[in-house]
Amino acid sequence: MAALLRPARWLLRAGAVPGLPLPLRLLAGGPGRPRVALCLPAACPGPAAGGLLSQARLYAIAAEKKNYLQEEPTSSHRRNASQFDWALMRLDNSVRRTGRIPKTLLQKVFDNTCHSGSPGGNQALLLLRSCGSLLPELKLSERTEFAHRIWDKLQKLGTVYDVSHYNALLKVYLQNEYKFSPTDFLAKMEEANIQPNRVTYQRLIAAYCNVGDIEGASKILGFMKTKDLPVTEAVFSALVTGHARAGDMENAENILTVMKEAGIEPGPDTYLALLNAYAEKGDIDHVKQTLEKVEKSDLYLMDRDLFQIIFSFSKAGYPQYVSEILEKITYERRYIPDAMNLILLLVTEKLEDTALQILLACPISREDGLNDFGSFFLRHCVTMDTPVEKLKHYCKKLKDAQMHTSALQFTLQCALLANKPDLAKALMNALKEEGFPVRTHYFWPLLVGYQKEKNVQGVIEILKGMHEMGVNPDQETYVNYVFPCFDSVKSVRAVLQENGCLPESNVFSQAELKSEAVNGNLDYILSFLESNTLPFSFTSLRGSLILGFRRSMNINLWSKITELLYKDGRYCQEPLGPTEAVGYFLYNLIDSMSDSEVQAKEEHLRQYFHQLKEMNVKIPENIYRGIRNLLDNYHVPELIKTMQLTISDLESTLEKLKAENQPVGDVLKQLILMLCSEENMQKALELKAKYESDMAVGGYAALINLCCRHDNAEDALNLKQEFDRLDSSAVLDTNKYVGLVKVLGKHGKLQDAINILKEMKEKDVLIKDATVLSFFHILNGAALRGETETVQQLHEAIVTLGLAKPSTTISSPLVTLYLEKDDLPTALEVAIDCHKKYKILPRIHDVLCKLIEKGETDLIQKAMDFVSQEQGEMTMLYDLFFAFLQTGNYKEAKKIIETPGIRARPTRLQWFCDRCISSNQVETLEKLVELTQKLFECDRDQLYYNLLKIYKINGDWQRADAVWNKMQEENIIPRGKTLRLLAEILRNSNQEVPFDVPELWDEDEKHSLDSSPLPEESNLQKDLLNACQWKKNKDAYNIFLKAQNRNVVFNGETYNSLIKLLLTKDNFTQAMQVKDFAETHIKGFTLNDAASSLLIITQVRRDYLKEALTTLKTALDLEQIPSRIAVTRLIQACALKGDLESIQAIQKMVNGLEDSIGLSNMVFINNIALAQIKNNNIDVAIENIENMLTSGNQTMEPQYFGLAYLFRKVIEEQLEPAVEKISIMAERLANQFAVYKPVTDLFLQLVDSGKVDDARALLQRCGAIAEQTPIFLVFCIRSSRRRGKAPALKSLLELIPELTEKEEAYTSIMKSYVLDNDVVSAKALYENLTAKNMKLNDLFLKRYAVFLKNAGESVPFTEPPESFEFYAKQLKESRENPL
Amino acid sequence: MAASAVRGAVALRTSVGRPVAFVRKIPWTAASSELREHFAQFGHVRKCIVPFDKDTGFHRGMGWIQFSSEEELQNALQQENHVIDGVKCLILFFS
Repeated sequence: MAALLRPARWLLRAGAVPGLPLPLRLLAGGPGRPRVALCLPAACPGPAAGGLLSQARLYAIAAEKKNYLQEEPTSSHRRNASQFDWALMRLDNSVRRTGRIPKTLLQKVFDNTCHSGSPGGNQALLLLRSCGSLLPELKLSERTEFAHRIWDKLQKLGTVYDVSHYNALLKVYLQNEYKFSPTDFLAKMEEANIQPNRVTYQRLIAAYCNVGDIEGASKILGFMKTKDLPVTEAVFSALVTGHARAGDMENAENILTVMKEAGIEPGPDTYLALLNAYAEKGDIDHVKQTLEKVEKSDLYLMDRDLFQIIFSFSKAGYPQYVSEILEKITYERRYIPDAMNLILLLVTEKLEDTALQILLACPISREDGLNDFGSFFLRHCVTMDTPVEKLKHYCKKLKDAQMHTSALQFTLQCALLANKPDLAKALMNALKEEGFPVRTHYFWPLLVGYQKEKNVQGVIEILKGMHEMGVNPDQETYVNYVFPCFDSVKSVRAVLQENGCLPESNVFSQAELKSEAVNGNLDYILSFLESNTLPFSFTSLRGSLILGFRRSMNINLWSKITELLYKDGRYCQEPLGPTEAVGYFLYNLIDSMSDSEVQAKEEHLRQYFHQLKEMNVKIPENIYRGIRNLLDNYHVPELIKTMQLTISDLESTLEKLKAENQPVGDVLKQLILMLCSEENMQKALELKAKYESDMAVGGYAALINLCCRHDNAEDALNLKQEFDRLDSSAVLDTNKYVGLVKVLGKHGKLQDAINILKEMKEKDVLIKDATVLSFFHILNGAALRGETETVQQLHEAIVTLGLAKPSTTISSPLVTLYLEKDDLPTALEVAIDCHKKYKILPRIHDVLCKLIEKGETDLIQKAMDFVSQEQGEMTMLYDLFFAFLQTGNYKEAKKIIETPGIRARPTRLQWFCDRCISSNQVETLEKLVELTQKLFECDRDQLYYNLLKIYKINGDWQRADAVWNKMQEENIIPRGKTLRLLAEILRNSNQEVPFDVPELWDEDEKHSLDSSPLPEESNLQKDLLNACQWKKNKDAYNIFLKAQNRNVVFNGETYNSLIKLLLTKDNFTQAMQVKDFAETHIKGFTLNDAASSLLIITQVRRDYLKEALTTLKTALDLEQIPSRIAVTRLIQACALKGDLESIQAIQKMVNGLEDSIGLSNMVFINNIALAQIKNNNIDVAIENIENMLTSGNQTMEPQYFGLAYLFRKVIEEQLEPAVEKISIMAERLANQFAVYKPVTDLFLQLVDSGKVDDARALLQRCGAIAEQTPIFLVFCIRSSRRRGKAPALKSLLELIPELTEKEEAYTSIMKSYVLDNDVVSAKALYENLTAKNMKLNDLFLKRYAVFLKNAGESVPFTEPPESFEFYAKQLKESRENPL
Repeated sequence: MAASAVRGAVALRTSVGRPVAFVRKIPWTAASSELREHFAQFGHVRKCIVPFDKDTGFHRGMGWIQFSSEEELQNALQQENHVIDGVKCLILFFS
């Protein structure tokens, strides 16, 4: 087919040329700018626009491509534009700041440009342009190589070069003094079919002149003359250089006369060429004379020009004259970048001394001494291998000039970064000589360098160097930077010894030890510690030893090492004794492990502790307690038991002390505490009896607590009394009091318990929230046991003593007592009694639930009467609602919540939600959310949020997903937190998140739950606006009615908002009511633009076309701009009615406003034709359209002439005769006028309506349709956004198979298949693509993989692991903003 | 950079509530001992960490100082300029 189509393609192209959009036409025909391009290295003028013929052709092709895409700018178009902006910005910033572009930056921009696919011509130009004097850090030859690399690569990627690119390349050649053959260059251009222009010739002349080839230059000059091209100053300047370089100064000077004769006054460029020529000859006198001459004239040389002269002098070997030129420099701030550029260039050219001279002449503010200047110079010197003696000298100069505070250090850093060990060493020596410290870590980068190459000799050299410099390697140096270079730590010692750089100190041994420890080589550690003779601090080893222990599971070694450290005098001497040192070690060891690690190694640790016990290793009590707490936190209680080693030890000590008649208090207390922690009450009590006289307060407290824990009320009480006798003012801590109350209460010693409570009050014991909770648990426990007396008395005491304030919590056990006994009447009675006493109503919900379950209607009635009387009807209704919900009586619940006048109580709703969530009552919560849908002022989002919470707990993503749909159904705007939660649930179940997940946004969360329940009159307007914002149309309307009743009138804006909301919800009548009210109550009230537009849309929907037309007219008379969609809908509705007059009336009304509305003329063309067809004037319609497309004065470019709407309507409405005639017209336009847009649109509409056979027939009659790829791509992209388009796209692919090769097409089509669940087609497409070896992006693969998985199919490749958003973002970034 | 920040933070993993300062823009010439020396003027430095990148042999210009007390940390935070090896470092409270 392709062969058949070729002529059509040619025709198309020919037809496209006159259709250039205006700006492009201007560009294409634009003549070269008159300004002369400078040929200075430092100057970088914009690219010269080129000649007429060749450019026009190229832009025509570009324009052809663009025209289609502009119909709907595809991302690739925008992508290129933004890619260009980004690249330009980066490069431009760099030039402006530093006068140059670092090579790495250019490389980065280049790489990104390549990555973006097909780089545009402007990007290519930008890159090429940057390869000249803007790269002062690169040698001239390297710059040109870079330019060539860019040139070749971009060409391969499909960038089309025009004359501007060739000229840019020439410029780069000139700036880089690249030797090339101008004739070859021209031949190359000819080969590429590019016409050279004036700029090309000028630059070629300059190229000849640069090498002093006057003959060559003259040849081109002659050629220019035959072509009648103007000879400009640039040419003369080049000739000055040319003659000079040919050794003919006389003729060089004469050029100025020739110029004047030719009517061109020599400008700064010509003089600069002459000055450079003198400078290259070292002719300072003539330079000075010429400068004076220029000064006297009205010409002006900039600093940048003078820098050029300096460069010429230096490069030609006359640095002695630099200072004379420097004197003339003004040092304006804006030339600093140029100065930097020159300095770097001089360094590149190995003229560092001159560079320094210029650097030192730079006027830099030296006030604060913290801003260093000249780093760029030093860094570049290091890069260019400037000899170290020079560098040292430069550093000194910079320091003396107070330009740089740490020049030597900075230079050293550069040397280290550039991995230049010799230079680095020399600089370190210099530092040392200057009295600066040379630190160990200065050598690390060098060691890293050798380590990477595994260069042992290099490492040895560095170590020797360190030694020579008196720097001793520390442990870190060995462990991190020396050892990794060797295969094993053992071999290091030997090699170092061999080379005589094994230090005498024990640093190396410690490093070895550390390294082995870190590797878990405990054997080594043990043997080292055993054989070691040097003094050694255990603490220094602690960290690595812990790591070693954790890496080796040899418990015997653990124990042996610990024992050695504990018992051997060489270790743990100072300042801690062995018990403490080992104690800390054990603590740190356990602390360093995570709980899962401890749990996993529990058995090992148990053995370890056991062995330590056997070895009689002891640790101090406080450290033991610390370890016990750690183990407690790790939930390994079994281990704690192993830890306790010393009860018998303590016992014997105690006896021994007693026998010796020494004080035993401490040991006794320790032993009692230990027995208490072992829960050995029996023994503890015996011990207490035995040593009664030695007992202290602390021991009693522990014992009391122990007895309470063991439910031993008797002894607890006795001990407490003894405790009081010992010291009546002593205070126990709160928990111990609570424990006493609990155990005494439990054993019926109520009076004693109450006494304890009284004591708590008297001694002012701290009551925390936890204490109150404990009271509740005491009461509740008693209630569950049915101990009526205990509950009532203790409750009474607690509340009257003021230890806890009455609350539903603390008083609930009173009710619980009877609920447990199923004594509902009393339960209710007690609750009511609580309300009378404390104004609280404990457990009313549970009481009600039970009453409902038992069907106790009378009691329910009683309860409800009481509640509504005491707490209001609303509270009663909620109580009842929740009780019905809880007991599953949803019908009754529904009736309650639909009671007129009931409104949302956020705190109560949230209470019930929390309850459901904590007891995981999914169904109850679902019912709550369902039943409250119409509840006035109900925060739906919050309720759905709760629902999502419970789904998250249950991992139920399907229901969560259903919530997402329900929320849309209810038109709720979810808050950020809701969306985030939903996204989290979906992601956790590996589902695609079908929306943009909002970033965390504080304010979002602040939206308060409890808005004031009763809107004050003054707040009505605020509430109304609020309701509008949350799209609660009914609430909003009710507020309006309420305000109306109270004669409150809002401002116009408020009414407009309300009307808009009502219209969006299609509450037309209400909206009109509000409008009438506003118009009668506010003078001059009018609908605003948005409301008018919505009104038009609603009126059209209801088929009130006359009214809609009036609304439009009113809006336009008020100088409003109605929305595009409103006007379009109205026009379309008129067209379908065949109401041509109205359409023409609208056309007149909006005349001149089309752009503001965004209304395309095509809307009128399509709909007028449709109206005509509806009126059976098919021929008139077709004639009009044909005229528009073929007459000389077209109102619309053919490429924009979209008739898809007309075609679709005609096909949809089955207007067969019209379809036939339209088809004939479209084909005629294609075949006779090469206008392919209509026939392609028709083709696509046929495909879209499933008339594939008709479409195929059309394609066979008019083969050029197959060539209209851009139109197809737009169709694909648009179709993929809607469901149900898969069949159409599939048909399209069958008809136009080559479309699969377009990324936009196949990604859109895949998207559509996925959307429509068409597995078979998706698979076929994928196979088709892989068969063609297409490179598929990750997003495509991800989409396909997830689709297959959901369909239960296997995925034939590794699914990209990240989320959709990730790849979408990646793709977007790689296209738009690659970094 | 993030990795070393994490490592440093892990080294002081229970730093929440402990008097820890985070120092940035440390010159390359200074390592932990220099930092320790500088901050010793404000109090007892319990821990000082300047993580080095073992791939380059340079540190990344940041470090952590743990003092013995909150008061010492405040002393350090109150001083406006911290100049180490002639370079102004930035010091932040680490929470």
